[in-house]
Amino acid sequence: MNRRDLLIGAGLAALVASGGAALAQQPVVKIGYQLPLTGNTAQYGQDFKNAAEIALAKFNASGKPFKVEIVFEDSRSDAKEGIAIARKFVDDKQIVGVLGDFTSGVSMASAQVYKSAGMPQLSQTASHPDYAKISEWQFRNITTQAQEGPYNADWMADQGFKKIAVIAEQTDWGQTVVSNFADEVKTKGGEVVFSEFFNRGLADFRPIITKIAREKPDAIYTGFFYEDGAQFLKQMKQLGLTIPVYSTSAAYNQKLIELAGADAEGMHLTATFLPSNPAPQVQEFVAAWKEKTGQAEPGQFPAQAYDAVNIMLAALEKAWPEPTREKVRDALAATKDFPGVTGDTTFDADREPAKKLTKAVVKGGQFVAVSN
Amino acid sequence: MAGTNPAMTLESVGLENHWHESRGLFGPNLPVPMDYYLQQLAIGLSLGMVYALMAIGFTLIFGVLNVVNFAHGEVYTVGAFAGLVVISAFAPPLIVVLLVVVAVGALAGVGLERIAFKPFRRFSDEASLKSRAMREATLMSSLAVSIVVREAVEIGFGSQFQTVPLDRLLNSPISLGPVTIVSGDVIILVVAALMLGGLQYVLKRTNVGLSIRAVSSNPLGAKYVGINTDRTIIWTFAVGSMMGAAAGILVGLYYGAIFPSMGFIPGIKAFVAMVMGGLSSIPGAVICALILGFSESIATIFVPSVWADMVAYGFLIVTLIFFPRGIFGGARDRV
Amino acid sequence: MSDRLRPLLVVAAVLVLVLGVVPAVLGAFDRSYLYQVANLALIFVLLAASMHLVTGVAGLLQLGHAAFYGVGAYTAALLATDAGLSFGWTLPLAGLGAAFVAVLVALPTMRLVSIYFAVATLGIGQMLYLVMLNWVPVTKGPNGILITSGLTLFGYDLSRPASAYFVVAVVTLASLWVIHRLSHSYYGNALRSLREDDQCADAMGLDTVRLKIESFAVSGFFAGIAGALWAHTAGYISPADFSFPQSILILAMVVVGGLGSLPGAVIGALVLILLPEVLRPVGDFRNIIVGGVLFFSILLMPKGIIGEVSALDLVRRQLGGAWRGEGTKAGSEVGWR
Repeated sequence: MNRRDLLIGAGLAALVASGGAALAQQPVVKIGYQLPLTGNTAQYGQDFKNAAEIALAKFNASGKPFKVEIVFEDSRSDAKEGIAIARKFVDDKQIVGVLGDFTSGVSMASAQVYKSAGMPQLSQTASHPDYAKISEWQFRNITTQAQEGPYNADWMADQGFKKIAVIAEQTDWGQTVVSNFADEVKTKGGEVVFSEFFNRGLADFRPIITKIAREKPDAIYTGFFYEDGAQFLKQMKQLGLTIPVYSTSAAYNQKLIELAGADAEGMHLTATFLPSNPAPQVQEFVAAWKEKTGQAEPGQFPAQAYDAVNIMLAALEKAWPEPTREKVRDALAATKDFPGVTGDTTFDADREPAKKLTKAVVKGGQFVAVSN
Repeated sequence: MAGTNPAMTLESVGLENHWHESRGLFGPNLPVPMDYYLQQLAIGLSLGMVYALMAIGFTLIFGVLNVVNFAHGEVYTVGAFAGLVVISAFAPPLIVVLLVVVAVGALAGVGLERIAFKPFRRFSDEASLKSRAMREATLMSSLAVSIVVREAVEIGFGSQFQTVPLDRLLNSPISLGPVTIVSGDVIILVVAALMLGGLQYVLKRTNVGLSIRAVSSNPLGAKYVGINTDRTIIWTFAVGSMMGAAAGILVGLYYGAIFPSMGFIPGIKAFVAMVMGGLSSIPGAVICALILGFSESIATIFVPSVWADMVAYGFLIVTLIFFPRGIFGGARDRV
Repeated sequence: MSDRLRPLLVVAAVLVLVLGVVPAVLGAFDRSYLYQVANLALIFVLLAASMHLVTGVAGLLQLGHAAFYGVGAYTAALLATDAGLSFGWTLPLAGLGAAFVAVLVALPTMRLVSIYFAVATLGIGQMLYLVMLNWVPVTKGPNGILITSGLTLFGYDLSRPASAYFVVAVVTLASLWVIHRLSHSYYGNALRSLREDDQCADAMGLDTVRLKIESFAVSGFFAGIAGALWAHTAGYISPADFSFPQSILILAMVVVGGLGSLPGAVIGALVLILLPEVLRPVGDFRNIIVGGVLFFSILLMPKGIIGEVSALDLVRRQLGGAWRGEGTKAGSEVGWR
């Protein structure tokens, strides 16, 4: 329904754009966005696309000297398709920057192409520890677990938890969740009594939960996305376990509460984006999101995509006139204190972002910011 | 905050209490993990029942046509989505939801048979019936149908977990001594038992069942003795798909997870269970589905859970090495 | 005379097409995207051809082929990164590694027939996938492996898609030739006899178990070669590239093209790789169209686009009476009556 509207809208927009461009004679700068629009992870890609379109519409309506066009290509979260798309973007001389992909695997594979061809790539979610190390062309707009893990470990240590169980999904990201967190727990004098991974999309967490219960941890630290998170929380309550659960910003999505209901109550997590944040850019995005998608508040990932697109657009503006891939890269690298909805973004020398993390807890069916 | 006093939090844990009660064997400070094993066994049983629900319809359809129906997982998905639509529109009692889903499943089965299987039975000579190319053609046509259906559901509903009204979930905990199960376990057990019993009754006691068994053991022979094989095959698809669709909505409500690719993993497990069971035996498939469920949950006791599937597949290979025709399929000739 | 010329002409035509016409056309567009898609298509042509040998010719339905592809890719990637070997070494070693694993897989499963064999390969394919995903110390698990050395041969860097195309094309063509020679020979006929009736073949004195293991090993070898090509052209591999849906994709290629026909497998691979790319402008509906095309091609041509049987009919019609003659070269070239 929504998607069909989008298609029609996009078609109309293309018509209008082709007519309008001829009239207004405004130069057009193109950027590419590779993301999963179909397949198992399409829900994330569709969210990114909505967020990107919100950011783009705002930018194009703000009377800049040029218009920007985003070319969306569907990668299905498949490395084969991701590489082909990367080549397609690289071939298009008008494209001066690329956003995406969603999964680290596809982002990493595509990054090989961007590295060899010299194309700035900004991923909103690629969390592989080596992603930004591939070359000077790779940027990301997601806090890595190198920052979030120790932060959460300190938080839990402050709460007095000594014996902690850790579970995370069996992905490159899940690996970093566990390793970064466990290192900090040890330095704080705590103990990781249980550490295990699960395959994404696991239907039944109860065997693992039962195993965790046997270790009698003080608290559980988890690395999952909202869908697995909802399953985990529900099944934990089914088994009658009430150990406090801590998680990362990846679980931050209103859908988590929708899916798990009361079982999500009391879950602690970090976030860089809170829809209740009164900052004007946040409220503007939340309002635009609700209007465009008809859904509840946006989660962490759409917010990250929104910021990534805006950072890219700002870089284009800096590189104007005559933006080239090199100039866009340099402009991206110079991004400093960019005021986004996920906080201020600054890329360090390794093209990694540093962001301010907020502590939150699920209370009364809402994510509520807390001080400790 | 609740978290500031970990000791207090642990007191309120239902499961925890049991650890405190039973100790001994492993010294004063280590709990006897008997309850733990029982709990894992209970979980294995419910996992196995979930696979069994799927395997029943799968095996029935395989038995008649001797082809793998790749679209069975999509029937399961369609059943779950149909149930979800009915629940969100009318919120009827579960039994009504099940009836609607079963009807949708029957329609889906008949449609699937008409689209993906019937066209490949246009040659009924013996050579074509035995031809490998024809058999693998239906393998592909059902795969193609499953791709189209899954993609269509994705475009219609999105790929994410659908929001299921929380009060409709079948997961209120039930305490049985040291073991906690949920209401869905009971319902799934009952439904699976009914399906199995009903199916055995239909197959062994009714005319439709007689013709299904006849077509299953020799399609050409069945045709020669005057059985309407086409109609029998349609019946089989209708019945098998009803069960697939019912399984879809039950498991969907059991886990609260309804999404377009939900049929994929249970489909593989049902396929494995069917083959382990020896193809022709529906009770055999159910028993093997239970074995798969148990082996997964018990494996989790000893190895990290990511390796649990390794044990399940290892079990499959070992079974096939010692029983090359499946555990319960010894009587059947080579297919 | 023409009988002897014909295969030569076919080989020449294929060589000219793949190494001359295609690069010339792609070069005219000057788009690395087209080369990338061509490389991918060729890799899957090789995969489909390797599966063709086991599933099409020997008639053993394989549901875990992507695992051998993965074993090859991981062997190549690990040798390239940890041992620092160049493409010239990793390519054959990847093939041998995959062939070795294929033999290990074949030994316990050879007693199985039909669907039991299929599900055993499915199980083993899943197990190998789990090993790639979870044996973190060796395979780096879900982190995947970055191959920074690219595609270098004899000290030349051939990583650019245009030059990589020639490497991939030459390796694929050479492999296709070997597979073709294997399947169109007395040996290939022996494999076909397995497909038609392995008990009968056994009774006729063929060592069916050895034949099955050998065909499995050869098929695994070429899947491993394809894996090495993928690892070196992509530069990054992760377990998701070798999961069960990929096995099904390869199977679909072989069946759509026509079971038992090598040109069929090649065409099936080209269709299923190129179609989703061609359909990109359609947007979210493209996979539905791919499914639809898959369905209608199998509906209208249940024996595949170029099934062995229909290919035989074609030859029979072309050659008329010559087909039935004893010892005709063209007849034994197809070699199946």
